[in-house]
Amino acid sequence: MIFVGSARTGLWPRALAAFAYALPVIVIALPLFSFLSYSFFRVDNGEIVRDLGLFNYRRFFTDAIFIPVLLQTCILCLAVAGLATLIGYPVAFQLANLKGRRRYFLLLLVLVPLLMSYIIKIYAIRSILGGNGFLNRFLLWAGFITQPSSLFVFNLNAVLLTLTILLIPFAILPIFLSLERIPKSLIEASNDLGATNLQTFRWIVLPLSLPGIVTASTFVFVLAIGDFLTPQMVGGQSGFTFGRIIYSQFGTAFNWPFGSALAAILTFVIVIVIGLGNRLERRWL
Amino acid sequence: MMRISPLATISLLTLTGVVFLLLYGPLVVPIASSFFDVAHGNVQWDQPSLSSYAQLAANDGIITAFKNTLLVGFSASFLALVCGTLLALHYCSGRSLAREAMQFGVYLPFLMPPIITGLSLLIFFRELGVPRSLITVIAGHTIFVQALCYRTVVLRLQSLGSSLVEASTDLGASAWQTMFHILLPNLTSTLIGAGVLSFALSFDETMITLLVTGTDSTLPIRLWAMMRLGFTPDINALVALILLLTFVLCILVIRQFPSEFDSQG
Repeated sequence: MIFVGSARTGLWPRALAAFAYALPVIVIALPLFSFLSYSFFRVDNGEIVRDLGLFNYRRFFTDAIFIPVLLQTCILCLAVAGLATLIGYPVAFQLANLKGRRRYFLLLLVLVPLLMSYIIKIYAIRSILGGNGFLNRFLLWAGFITQPSSLFVFNLNAVLLTLTILLIPFAILPIFLSLERIPKSLIEASNDLGATNLQTFRWIVLPLSLPGIVTASTFVFVLAIGDFLTPQMVGGQSGFTFGRIIYSQFGTAFNWPFGSALAAILTFVIVIVIGLGNRLERRWL
Repeated sequence: MMRISPLATISLLTLTGVVFLLLYGPLVVPIASSFFDVAHGNVQWDQPSLSSYAQLAANDGIITAFKNTLLVGFSASFLALVCGTLLALHYCSGRSLAREAMQFGVYLPFLMPPIITGLSLLIFFRELGVPRSLITVIAGHTIFVQALCYRTVVLRLQSLGSSLVEASTDLGASAWQTMFHILLPNLTSTLIGAGVLSFALSFDETMITLLVTGTDSTLPIRLWAMMRLGFTPDINALVALILLLTFVLCILVIRQFPSEFDSQG
Protein backbone atom coordinates (compact mmCIF):
# COMPACT_ATOMS: atom_id res chain seq x y z
CA MET A 1 0.00 0.00 0.00
CA ILE A 2 1.33 3.38 -0.98
CA PHE A 3 -1.29 5.53 0.69
CA VAL A 4 -2.31 5.00 4.28
CA GLY A 5 -5.16 6.43 6.32
CA SER A 6 -6.22 9.96 5.47
CA ALA A 7 -3.71 10.16 2.60
CA ARG A 8 -5.97 7.82 0.60
CA THR A 9 -8.55 10.48 -0.03
CA GLY A 10 -6.17 13.37 -0.71
CA LEU A 11 -5.60 15.20 -3.96
CA TRP A 12 -2.39 13.36 -4.83
CA PRO A 13 -3.91 9.82 -5.01
CA ARG A 14 -6.78 11.15 -7.10
CA ALA A 15 -4.49 12.93 -9.53
CA LEU A 16 -2.36 9.79 -9.73
CA ALA A 17 -5.40 7.62 -10.47
CA ALA A 18 -6.63 10.02 -13.14
CA PHE A 19 -3.21 9.97 -14.81
CA ALA A 20 -2.88 6.18 -14.51
CA TYR A 21 -6.18 5.56 -16.29
CA ALA A 22 -5.93 8.37 -18.83
CA LEU A 23 -2.44 7.53 -20.08
CA PRO A 24 -3.02 3.93 -21.29
CA VAL A 25 -6.36 4.96 -22.80
CA ILE A 26 -4.82 7.83 -24.76
CA VAL A 27 -1.53 6.33 -25.89
CA ILE A 28 -2.49 2.66 -26.20
CA ALA A 29 -6.25 2.08 -26.47
CA LEU A 30 -7.03 5.01 -28.80
CA PRO A 31 -4.27 4.13 -31.32
CA LEU A 32 -5.48 0.51 -31.34
CA PHE A 33 -9.03 1.69 -31.83
CA SER A 34 -8.08 3.96 -34.73
CA PHE A 35 -6.12 1.12 -36.32
CA LEU A 36 -9.12 -1.19 -36.05
CA SER A 37 -11.51 1.41 -37.43
CA TYR A 38 -9.20 2.06 -40.39
CA SER A 39 -9.57 -1.58 -41.35
CA PHE A 40 -13.23 -0.83 -42.20
CA PHE A 41 -12.40 2.17 -44.40
CA ARG A 42 -11.35 1.93 -48.02
CA VAL A 43 -9.14 3.69 -50.52
CA ASP A 44 -10.48 5.34 -53.65
CA ASN A 45 -8.14 7.10 -56.10
CA GLY A 46 -5.42 7.35 -53.46
CA GLU A 47 -7.82 8.95 -50.96
CA ILE A 48 -9.02 7.25 -47.80
CA VAL A 49 -12.84 7.01 -47.87
CA ARG A 50 -14.37 6.86 -44.43
CA ASP A 51 -17.46 4.76 -44.89
CA LEU A 52 -17.51 1.65 -42.80
CA GLY A 53 -17.67 -1.67 -44.59
CA LEU A 54 -16.18 -5.14 -44.76
CA PHE A 55 -14.58 -4.32 -48.11
CA ASN A 56 -11.00 -5.09 -47.03
CA TYR A 57 -11.91 -8.32 -45.26
CA ARG A 58 -13.88 -9.46 -48.31
CA ARG A 59 -10.84 -8.77 -50.47
CA PHE A 60 -8.69 -10.87 -48.14
CA PHE A 61 -11.00 -13.86 -48.41
CA THR A 62 -11.78 -13.60 -52.14
CA ASP A 63 -8.42 -12.62 -53.63
CA ALA A 64 -6.42 -15.78 -54.32
CA ILE A 65 -3.07 -14.43 -53.07
CA PHE A 66 -3.57 -13.56 -49.42
CA ILE A 67 -4.79 -16.76 -47.76
CA PRO A 68 -1.97 -18.90 -49.25
CA VAL A 69 0.62 -16.34 -48.11
CA LEU A 70 -0.88 -16.31 -44.61
CA LEU A 71 -0.85 -20.12 -44.49
CA GLN A 72 2.69 -20.24 -45.82
CA THR A 73 3.79 -17.68 -43.23
CA CYS A 74 2.10 -19.64 -40.43
CA ILE A 75 3.85 -22.84 -41.55
CA LEU A 76 7.16 -20.99 -41.77
CA CYS A 77 6.74 -19.55 -38.26
CA LEU A 78 5.67 -22.94 -36.88
CA ALA A 79 8.85 -24.38 -38.36
CA VAL A 80 10.90 -21.57 -36.80
CA ALA A 81 9.20 -22.17 -33.42
CA GLY A 82 9.77 -25.94 -33.67
CA LEU A 83 13.39 -25.59 -34.72
CA ALA A 84 14.23 -22.96 -32.11
CA THR A 85 12.60 -25.04 -29.36
CA LEU A 86 14.34 -28.21 -30.53
CA ILE A 87 17.73 -26.49 -30.51
CA GLY A 88 16.98 -24.45 -27.41
CA TYR A 89 15.92 -27.38 -25.21
CA PRO A 90 19.31 -29.14 -24.94
CA VAL A 91 21.02 -25.80 -24.32
CA ALA A 92 18.53 -24.90 -21.58
CA PHE A 93 19.02 -28.40 -20.13
CA GLN A 94 22.78 -27.95 -20.17
CA LEU A 95 22.47 -24.57 -18.43
CA ALA A 96 20.05 -25.89 -15.82
CA ASN A 97 22.52 -28.67 -15.01
CA LEU A 98 25.29 -26.21 -14.19
CA LYS A 99 25.79 -25.10 -10.61
CA GLY A 100 25.98 -21.74 -8.91
CA ARG A 101 27.22 -18.61 -10.61
CA ARG A 102 28.31 -20.30 -13.84
CA ARG A 103 24.67 -21.14 -14.62
CA TYR A 104 23.54 -17.51 -14.48
CA PHE A 105 26.63 -16.25 -16.22
CA LEU A 106 25.97 -18.53 -19.21
CA LEU A 107 22.28 -17.64 -19.17
CA LEU A 108 23.35 -14.00 -19.35
CA LEU A 109 25.58 -14.82 -22.32
CA VAL A 110 22.54 -16.34 -24.06
CA LEU A 111 20.52 -13.19 -23.42
CA VAL A 112 23.18 -10.58 -24.29
CA PRO A 113 22.73 -10.95 -28.09
CA LEU A 114 19.07 -9.91 -27.62
CA LEU A 115 20.25 -6.42 -26.69
CA MET A 116 22.47 -6.25 -29.76
CA SER A 117 21.09 -4.51 -32.83
CA TYR A 118 18.47 -6.66 -34.53
CA ILE A 119 19.15 -5.23 -37.95
CA ILE A 120 22.90 -5.79 -37.69
CA LYS A 121 22.35 -9.43 -36.83
CA ILE A 122 20.08 -9.94 -39.85
CA TYR A 123 22.64 -8.24 -42.07
CA ALA A 124 25.49 -10.34 -40.69
CA ILE A 125 23.54 -13.59 -41.04
CA ARG A 126 22.73 -12.63 -44.62
CA SER A 127 26.39 -12.17 -45.42
CA ILE A 128 27.26 -15.46 -43.70
CA LEU A 129 24.60 -17.37 -45.65
CA GLY A 130 25.26 -15.61 -48.97
CA GLY A 131 27.16 -16.75 -52.07
CA ASN A 132 30.57 -15.67 -50.74
CA GLY A 133 29.72 -16.16 -47.10
CA PHE A 134 31.27 -18.38 -44.48
CA LEU A 135 28.68 -21.13 -44.88
CA ASN A 136 29.43 -21.62 -48.58
CA ARG A 137 33.18 -21.38 -48.03
CA PHE A 138 32.92 -24.01 -45.33
CA LEU A 139 30.78 -26.35 -47.47
CA LEU A 140 33.17 -25.90 -50.43
CA TRP A 141 36.17 -26.54 -48.21
CA ALA A 142 34.55 -29.62 -46.68
CA GLY A 143 33.74 -30.93 -50.15
CA PHE A 144 29.95 -31.08 -49.72
CA ILE A 145 29.41 -28.84 -52.74
CA THR A 146 31.50 -27.99 -55.77
CA GLN A 147 30.23 -24.48 -56.40
CA PRO A 148 28.73 -21.82 -54.12
CA SER A 149 25.11 -22.59 -53.40
CA SER A 150 22.37 -19.98 -53.47
CA LEU A 151 20.03 -22.23 -51.49
CA PHE A 152 20.53 -20.25 -48.28
CA VAL A 153 19.91 -16.69 -49.28
CA PHE A 154 17.02 -14.67 -50.75
CA ASN A 155 14.39 -17.35 -50.33
CA LEU A 156 12.19 -18.86 -47.60
CA ASN A 157 15.03 -21.13 -46.36
CA ALA A 158 17.02 -18.03 -45.57
CA VAL A 159 14.08 -16.50 -43.68
CA LEU A 160 13.66 -19.75 -41.72
CA LEU A 161 17.35 -20.00 -40.79
CA THR A 162 17.74 -16.32 -39.95
CA LEU A 163 14.63 -16.13 -37.78
CA THR A 164 15.63 -19.32 -35.95
CA ILE A 165 19.08 -17.98 -35.14
CA LEU A 166 17.66 -14.62 -34.05
CA LEU A 167 14.97 -16.10 -31.82
CA ILE A 168 16.78 -19.03 -30.12
CA PRO A 169 17.35 -17.04 -26.88
CA PHE A 170 13.58 -16.56 -26.57
CA ALA A 171 13.21 -20.34 -26.68
CA ILE A 172 16.02 -21.06 -24.22
CA LEU A 173 14.81 -18.73 -21.45
CA PRO A 174 11.33 -20.18 -20.72
CA ILE A 175 12.58 -23.76 -21.00
CA PHE A 176 15.43 -22.98 -18.63
CA LEU A 177 13.01 -21.43 -16.13
CA SER A 178 10.73 -24.48 -16.23
CA LEU A 179 13.67 -26.89 -15.82
CA GLU A 180 15.00 -24.83 -12.93
CA ARG A 181 11.68 -25.10 -11.10
CA ILE A 182 11.73 -28.92 -11.04
CA PRO A 183 12.41 -29.95 -7.42
CA LYS A 184 15.70 -31.82 -7.00
CA SER A 185 13.98 -34.24 -4.67
CA LEU A 186 11.85 -35.62 -7.50
CA ILE A 187 14.92 -36.49 -9.54
CA GLU A 188 16.69 -37.97 -6.53
CA ALA A 189 13.62 -40.04 -5.72
CA SER A 190 13.51 -41.30 -9.28
CA ASN A 191 17.21 -42.22 -9.14
CA ASP A 192 16.82 -43.91 -5.76
CA LEU A 193 13.96 -45.99 -7.07
CA GLY A 194 16.27 -47.36 -9.74
CA ALA A 195 15.26 -45.42 -12.83
CA THR A 196 17.93 -44.98 -15.49
CA ASN A 197 18.89 -41.46 -16.51
CA LEU A 198 16.87 -41.80 -19.68
CA GLN A 199 13.81 -42.96 -17.73
CA THR A 200 14.15 -40.08 -15.27
CA PHE A 201 14.34 -37.67 -18.18
CA ARG A 202 11.45 -39.24 -20.08
CA TRP A 203 9.03 -39.59 -17.15
CA ILE A 204 10.02 -36.79 -14.76
CA VAL A 205 11.99 -33.98 -16.40
CA LEU A 206 10.34 -33.84 -19.83
CA PRO A 207 6.71 -33.80 -18.61
CA LEU A 208 7.50 -31.14 -16.00
CA SER A 209 9.21 -28.95 -18.59
CA LEU A 210 6.32 -29.12 -21.08
CA PRO A 211 4.86 -25.76 -19.95
CA GLY A 212 8.24 -24.20 -20.69
CA ILE A 213 8.30 -25.79 -24.13
CA VAL A 214 4.82 -24.44 -24.90
CA THR A 215 5.75 -20.93 -23.71
CA ALA A 216 8.95 -21.06 -25.74
CA SER A 217 7.20 -22.09 -28.96
CA THR A 218 4.40 -19.54 -28.54
CA PHE A 219 6.94 -16.80 -27.84
CA VAL A 220 9.02 -17.62 -30.90
CA PHE A 221 5.98 -18.05 -33.15
CA VAL A 222 4.52 -14.66 -32.19
CA LEU A 223 7.85 -12.88 -32.61
CA ALA A 224 8.50 -14.57 -35.95
CA ILE A 225 5.08 -13.86 -37.46
CA GLY A 226 5.22 -10.17 -36.52
CA ASP A 227 8.65 -9.66 -38.07
CA PHE A 228 8.82 -7.93 -41.43
CA LEU A 229 12.45 -6.86 -41.42
CA THR A 230 13.98 -10.32 -41.70
CA PRO A 231 11.93 -11.48 -44.71
CA GLN A 232 12.50 -8.10 -46.34
CA MET A 233 16.29 -8.37 -45.91
CA VAL A 234 16.94 -12.05 -46.61
CA GLY A 235 13.74 -13.20 -48.33
CA GLY A 236 14.36 -11.84 -51.80
CA GLN A 237 11.61 -12.25 -54.39
CA SER A 238 10.32 -15.65 -53.28
CA GLY A 239 10.48 -15.15 -49.53
CA PHE A 240 7.20 -13.29 -49.29
CA THR A 241 5.53 -13.28 -45.89
CA PHE A 242 2.36 -11.83 -44.43
CA GLY A 243 4.26 -9.23 -42.38
CA ARG A 244 5.96 -8.01 -45.55
CA ILE A 245 2.61 -7.58 -47.31
CA ILE A 246 1.27 -5.57 -44.35
CA TYR A 247 4.35 -3.35 -44.34
CA SER A 248 4.12 -2.76 -48.09
CA GLN A 249 0.52 -1.52 -47.69
CA PHE A 250 1.89 1.29 -45.51
CA GLY A 251 4.73 2.04 -47.89
CA THR A 252 4.76 1.52 -51.62
CA ALA A 253 1.20 0.17 -52.04
CA PHE A 254 -0.23 3.00 -49.89
CA ASN A 255 -3.40 1.27 -48.87
CA TRP A 256 -3.59 1.88 -45.13
CA PRO A 257 -7.14 0.53 -44.67
CA PHE A 258 -6.27 -2.75 -46.35
CA GLY A 259 -2.99 -2.94 -44.41
CA SER A 260 -4.95 -2.38 -41.20
CA ALA A 261 -7.36 -5.18 -42.08
CA LEU A 262 -4.45 -7.55 -42.75
CA ALA A 263 -2.83 -6.49 -39.47
CA ALA A 264 -6.13 -7.13 -37.68
CA ILE A 265 -6.17 -10.65 -39.17
CA LEU A 266 -2.57 -11.11 -38.01
CA THR A 267 -3.57 -10.01 -34.50
CA PHE A 268 -6.44 -12.51 -34.60
CA VAL A 269 -4.03 -15.34 -35.53
CA ILE A 270 -1.67 -14.31 -32.71
CA VAL A 271 -4.48 -14.19 -30.13
CA ILE A 272 -5.58 -17.69 -31.19
CA VAL A 273 -2.03 -19.04 -30.92
CA ILE A 274 -1.52 -17.49 -27.47
CA GLY A 275 -4.92 -18.83 -26.36
CA LEU A 276 -4.05 -22.33 -27.56
CA GLY A 277 -0.71 -22.11 -25.77
CA ASN A 278 -2.41 -21.11 -22.52
CA ARG A 279 -4.88 -23.97 -22.78
CA LEU A 280 -2.13 -26.50 -23.36
CA GLU A 281 -0.13 -25.18 -20.42
CA ARG A 282 -3.10 -25.30 -18.10
CA ARG A 283 -3.84 -28.88 -19.02
CA TRP A 284 -0.34 -29.95 -18.02
CA LEU A 285 0.00 -27.94 -14.86
CA MET B 1 20.50 -31.70 -11.30
CA MET B 2 20.78 -35.00 -13.15
CA ARG B 3 23.59 -37.47 -13.60
CA ILE B 4 24.29 -37.79 -17.31
CA SER B 5 26.32 -40.30 -19.26
CA PRO B 6 29.64 -39.11 -20.79
CA LEU B 7 28.33 -39.48 -24.34
CA ALA B 8 25.27 -37.33 -23.57
CA THR B 9 27.49 -34.79 -21.81
CA ILE B 10 29.72 -34.47 -24.87
CA SER B 11 26.82 -34.06 -27.28
CA LEU B 12 25.12 -31.52 -25.01
CA LEU B 13 28.32 -29.50 -24.72
CA THR B 14 28.88 -29.63 -28.48
CA LEU B 15 25.36 -28.47 -29.20
CA THR B 16 25.63 -25.68 -26.64
CA GLY B 17 28.89 -24.64 -28.28
CA VAL B 18 27.25 -24.58 -31.72
CA VAL B 19 24.38 -22.47 -30.42
CA PHE B 20 26.80 -19.96 -28.88
CA LEU B 21 28.57 -19.87 -32.25
CA LEU B 22 25.22 -19.15 -33.95
CA LEU B 23 24.43 -16.42 -31.43
CA TYR B 24 27.81 -14.70 -31.44
CA GLY B 25 28.97 -15.38 -35.03
CA PRO B 26 26.68 -12.68 -36.46
CA LEU B 27 28.16 -10.24 -33.95
CA VAL B 28 31.82 -11.12 -34.51
CA VAL B 29 31.91 -11.44 -38.32
CA PRO B 30 31.02 -7.80 -39.13
CA ILE B 31 33.48 -6.51 -36.53
CA ALA B 32 36.27 -8.66 -37.97
CA SER B 33 35.49 -7.72 -41.56
CA SER B 34 35.48 -4.00 -40.77
CA PHE B 35 39.27 -4.18 -40.49
CA PHE B 36 39.79 -5.49 -44.04
CA ASP B 37 39.64 -4.04 -47.52
CA VAL B 38 36.56 -4.51 -49.67
CA ALA B 39 36.77 -5.00 -53.42
CA HIS B 40 33.95 -5.88 -55.84
CA GLY B 41 31.55 -6.18 -52.91
CA ASN B 42 33.67 -8.86 -51.24
CA VAL B 43 35.77 -8.66 -48.12
CA GLN B 44 39.45 -9.22 -48.95
CA TRP B 45 40.54 -11.25 -45.94
CA ASP B 46 44.24 -10.92 -46.88
CA GLN B 47 44.26 -7.12 -46.98
CA PRO B 48 43.84 -5.57 -43.54
CA SER B 49 43.03 -1.86 -43.61
CA LEU B 50 41.11 0.88 -41.90
CA SER B 51 39.71 2.30 -45.13
CA SER B 52 36.13 1.46 -44.15
CA TYR B 53 36.49 3.68 -41.08
CA ALA B 54 37.86 6.51 -43.24
CA GLN B 55 34.84 6.16 -45.54
CA LEU B 56 32.51 6.21 -42.56
CA ALA B 57 34.04 9.45 -41.28
CA ALA B 58 33.13 11.02 -44.63
CA ASN B 59 29.49 9.95 -44.30
CA ASP B 60 27.61 13.02 -43.07
CA GLY B 61 24.27 11.40 -42.25
CA ILE B 62 25.80 9.15 -39.60
CA ILE B 63 26.57 11.86 -37.06
CA THR B 64 23.05 13.27 -37.36
CA ALA B 65 21.57 9.79 -37.04
CA PHE B 66 23.72 9.15 -33.97
CA LYS B 67 22.60 12.40 -32.34
CA ASN B 68 18.97 11.54 -33.13
CA THR B 69 19.39 8.09 -31.59
CA LEU B 70 20.81 9.57 -28.38
CA LEU B 71 18.08 12.21 -28.22
CA VAL B 72 15.34 9.63 -28.75
CA GLY B 73 16.93 7.16 -26.31
CA PHE B 74 17.34 9.66 -23.47
CA SER B 75 13.93 11.30 -23.93
CA ALA B 76 12.07 8.00 -24.27
CA SER B 77 13.82 6.41 -21.26
CA PHE B 78 13.17 9.49 -19.12
CA LEU B 79 9.49 9.73 -20.10
CA ALA B 80 9.04 5.97 -19.69
CA LEU B 81 10.59 6.08 -16.22
CA VAL B 82 8.32 8.92 -15.12
CA CYS B 83 5.15 7.40 -16.59
CA GLY B 84 6.07 3.84 -15.55
CA THR B 85 6.74 4.92 -11.95
CA LEU B 86 3.48 6.87 -11.69
CA LEU B 87 1.51 3.95 -13.14
CA ALA B 88 3.25 1.53 -10.77
CA LEU B 89 2.52 3.76 -7.76
CA HIS B 90 -1.15 3.76 -8.67
CA TYR B 91 -1.22 0.00 -9.25
CA CYS B 92 0.37 -0.64 -5.85
CA SER B 93 -1.98 1.72 -4.01
CA GLY B 94 -4.82 -0.76 -3.87
CA ARG B 95 -6.52 -3.64 -5.59
CA SER B 96 -9.25 -3.34 -8.20
CA LEU B 97 -10.36 -4.63 -11.56
CA ALA B 98 -9.66 -1.21 -13.08
CA ARG B 99 -6.02 -1.49 -11.97
CA GLU B 100 -5.72 -4.89 -13.64
CA ALA B 101 -7.21 -3.46 -16.83
CA MET B 102 -4.72 -0.59 -16.68
CA GLN B 103 -1.86 -3.05 -16.23
CA PHE B 104 -3.02 -5.10 -19.22
CA GLY B 105 -3.13 -1.94 -21.33
CA VAL B 106 0.38 -0.95 -20.29
CA TYR B 107 1.76 -4.40 -21.18
CA LEU B 108 0.04 -4.53 -24.59
CA PRO B 109 2.67 -2.65 -26.66
CA PHE B 110 5.34 -4.96 -25.26
CA LEU B 111 3.32 -8.11 -25.94
CA MET B 112 2.00 -7.28 -29.40
CA PRO B 113 4.27 -7.55 -32.41
CA PRO B 114 5.98 -4.19 -33.00
CA ILE B 115 4.33 -3.93 -36.42
CA ILE B 116 0.91 -3.66 -34.72
CA THR B 117 2.10 -1.08 -32.17
CA GLY B 118 3.88 0.84 -34.90
CA LEU B 119 1.03 1.03 -37.37
CA SER B 120 -1.56 1.84 -34.67
CA LEU B 121 0.55 4.84 -33.69
CA LEU B 122 1.12 5.76 -37.33
CA ILE B 123 -2.64 5.86 -37.96
CA PHE B 124 -3.33 7.58 -34.63
CA PHE B 125 -0.83 10.37 -35.36
CA ARG B 126 -2.33 10.85 -38.79
CA GLU B 127 -5.80 11.14 -37.27
CA LEU B 128 -4.48 13.75 -34.82
CA GLY B 129 -2.74 15.60 -37.63
CA VAL B 130 0.70 15.19 -36.00
CA PRO B 131 3.39 15.06 -38.69
CA ARG B 132 5.89 12.20 -38.48
CA SER B 133 9.10 13.36 -36.83
CA LEU B 134 11.45 12.55 -33.98
CA ILE B 135 8.62 13.47 -31.60
CA THR B 136 6.49 10.61 -32.90
CA VAL B 137 9.51 8.29 -32.69
CA ILE B 138 10.05 9.32 -29.04
CA ALA B 139 6.36 8.67 -28.32
CA GLY B 140 6.58 5.21 -29.93
CA HIS B 141 9.68 4.25 -27.97
CA THR B 142 8.24 5.59 -24.72
CA ILE B 143 5.09 3.49 -25.05
CA PHE B 144 7.21 0.44 -25.82
CA VAL B 145 9.75 0.68 -22.97
CA GLN B 146 7.26 2.08 -20.44
CA ALA B 147 5.91 -1.47 -19.95
CA LEU B 148 9.35 -2.56 -18.81
CA CYS B 149 9.88 0.39 -16.44
CA TYR B 150 6.41 -0.15 -15.00
CA ARG B 151 7.05 -3.84 -14.39
CA THR B 152 10.39 -3.36 -12.61
CA VAL B 153 9.01 -0.60 -10.38
CA VAL B 154 5.93 -2.68 -9.46
CA LEU B 155 8.17 -5.60 -8.48
CA ARG B 156 10.33 -3.33 -6.34
CA LEU B 157 7.34 -1.66 -4.65
CA GLN B 158 5.84 -5.06 -3.86
CA SER B 159 9.08 -6.30 -2.34
CA LEU B 160 9.34 -3.11 -0.25
CA GLY B 161 6.05 -3.88 1.45
CA SER B 162 3.84 -1.40 3.21
CA SER B 163 5.51 -1.07 6.63
CA LEU B 164 7.86 1.74 5.54
CA VAL B 165 4.99 3.82 4.21
CA GLU B 166 2.86 3.08 7.29
CA ALA B 167 5.68 4.08 9.62
CA SER B 168 6.25 7.27 7.68
CA THR B 169 2.55 8.17 7.81
CA ASP B 170 2.29 7.31 11.51
CA LEU B 171 5.15 9.68 12.19
CA GLY B 172 3.12 12.43 10.57
CA ALA B 173 4.60 12.66 7.07
CA SER B 174 2.34 13.84 4.25
CA ALA B 175 1.87 11.74 1.10
CA TRP B 176 4.36 13.99 -0.70
CA GLN B 177 6.94 13.69 2.06
CA THR B 178 6.56 9.91 2.09
CA MET B 179 6.95 9.91 -1.68
CA PHE B 180 10.15 11.95 -1.77
CA HIS B 181 11.81 10.86 1.47
CA ILE B 182 10.83 7.20 1.64
CA LEU B 183 9.70 5.74 -1.69
CA LEU B 184 11.92 7.47 -4.24
CA PRO B 185 15.21 6.84 -2.38
CA ASN B 186 14.28 3.17 -2.18
CA LEU B 187 13.50 3.06 -5.89
CA THR B 188 16.73 4.71 -7.08
CA SER B 189 18.70 1.59 -8.04
CA THR B 190 15.63 0.03 -9.68
CA LEU B 191 15.04 3.21 -11.69
CA ILE B 192 18.68 3.35 -12.85
CA GLY B 193 18.55 -0.29 -13.95
CA ALA B 194 15.25 0.14 -15.79
CA GLY B 195 16.51 3.37 -17.36
CA VAL B 196 19.67 1.78 -18.75
CA LEU B 197 17.75 -1.21 -20.10
CA SER B 198 15.17 1.13 -21.66
CA PHE B 199 17.91 3.14 -23.31
CA ALA B 200 19.50 -0.04 -24.68
CA LEU B 201 16.15 -1.21 -26.10
CA SER B 202 15.41 2.19 -27.60
CA PHE B 203 18.92 2.36 -29.07
CA ASP B 204 18.18 -0.71 -31.23
CA GLU B 205 14.45 -0.33 -31.81
CA THR B 206 13.84 -0.62 -35.55
CA MET B 207 10.36 -1.86 -36.45
CA ILE B 208 8.23 0.72 -34.61
CA THR B 209 10.67 3.47 -35.60
CA LEU B 210 10.53 2.51 -39.27
CA LEU B 211 6.76 2.99 -39.24
CA VAL B 212 6.47 6.22 -37.25
CA THR B 213 9.54 8.14 -38.41
CA GLY B 214 9.45 10.92 -40.97
CA THR B 215 12.58 12.14 -42.71
CA ASP B 216 14.71 11.99 -39.55
CA SER B 217 16.51 8.73 -39.07
CA THR B 218 18.00 7.01 -36.08
CA LEU B 219 21.04 4.73 -36.43
CA PRO B 220 19.10 1.49 -37.07
CA ILE B 221 17.00 3.25 -39.71
CA ARG B 222 20.11 4.73 -41.32
CA LEU B 223 21.69 1.25 -41.36
CA TRP B 224 18.53 -0.23 -42.85
CA ALA B 225 18.62 2.35 -45.66
CA MET B 226 22.33 1.74 -46.31
CA MET B 227 21.94 -2.05 -46.33
CA ARG B 228 19.08 -1.93 -48.78
CA LEU B 229 21.15 0.06 -51.25
CA GLY B 230 23.73 -2.69 -51.26
CA PHE B 231 27.07 -3.45 -49.75
CA THR B 232 29.43 -0.61 -48.97
CA PRO B 233 32.50 -0.95 -46.76
CA ASP B 234 31.46 1.81 -44.37
CA ILE B 235 28.51 -0.34 -43.26
CA ASN B 236 30.92 -2.77 -41.61
CA ALA B 237 32.73 0.05 -39.81
CA LEU B 238 29.45 1.52 -38.58
CA VAL B 239 28.22 -1.91 -37.51
CA ALA B 240 31.42 -2.50 -35.55
CA LEU B 241 31.10 0.85 -33.77
CA ILE B 242 27.42 0.29 -32.93
CA LEU B 243 28.14 -3.19 -31.59
CA LEU B 244 30.90 -1.74 -29.42
CA LEU B 245 28.47 0.84 -28.03
CA THR B 246 25.74 -1.73 -27.37
CA PHE B 247 28.31 -3.93 -25.70
CA VAL B 248 29.10 -1.12 -23.26
CA LEU B 249 25.35 -0.69 -22.70
CA CYS B 250 25.01 -4.44 -22.06
CA ILE B 251 27.71 -4.31 -19.40
CA LEU B 252 25.92 -1.37 -17.78
CA VAL B 253 22.65 -3.32 -17.82
CA ILE B 254 24.27 -6.43 -16.36
CA ARG B 255 26.00 -4.44 -13.61
CA GLN B 256 22.59 -3.26 -12.44
CA PHE B 257 21.36 -6.76 -11.73
CA PRO B 258 24.20 -8.72 -10.09
CA SER B 259 22.51 -9.02 -6.71
CA GLU B 260 19.43 -10.64 -8.23
CA PHE B 261 21.53 -13.24 -9.98
CA ASP B 262 23.53 -13.93 -6.83
CA SER B 263 20.50 -14.43 -4.67
CA GLN B 264 19.05 -16.97 -7.09
CA GLY B 265 22.30 -18.90 -7.46
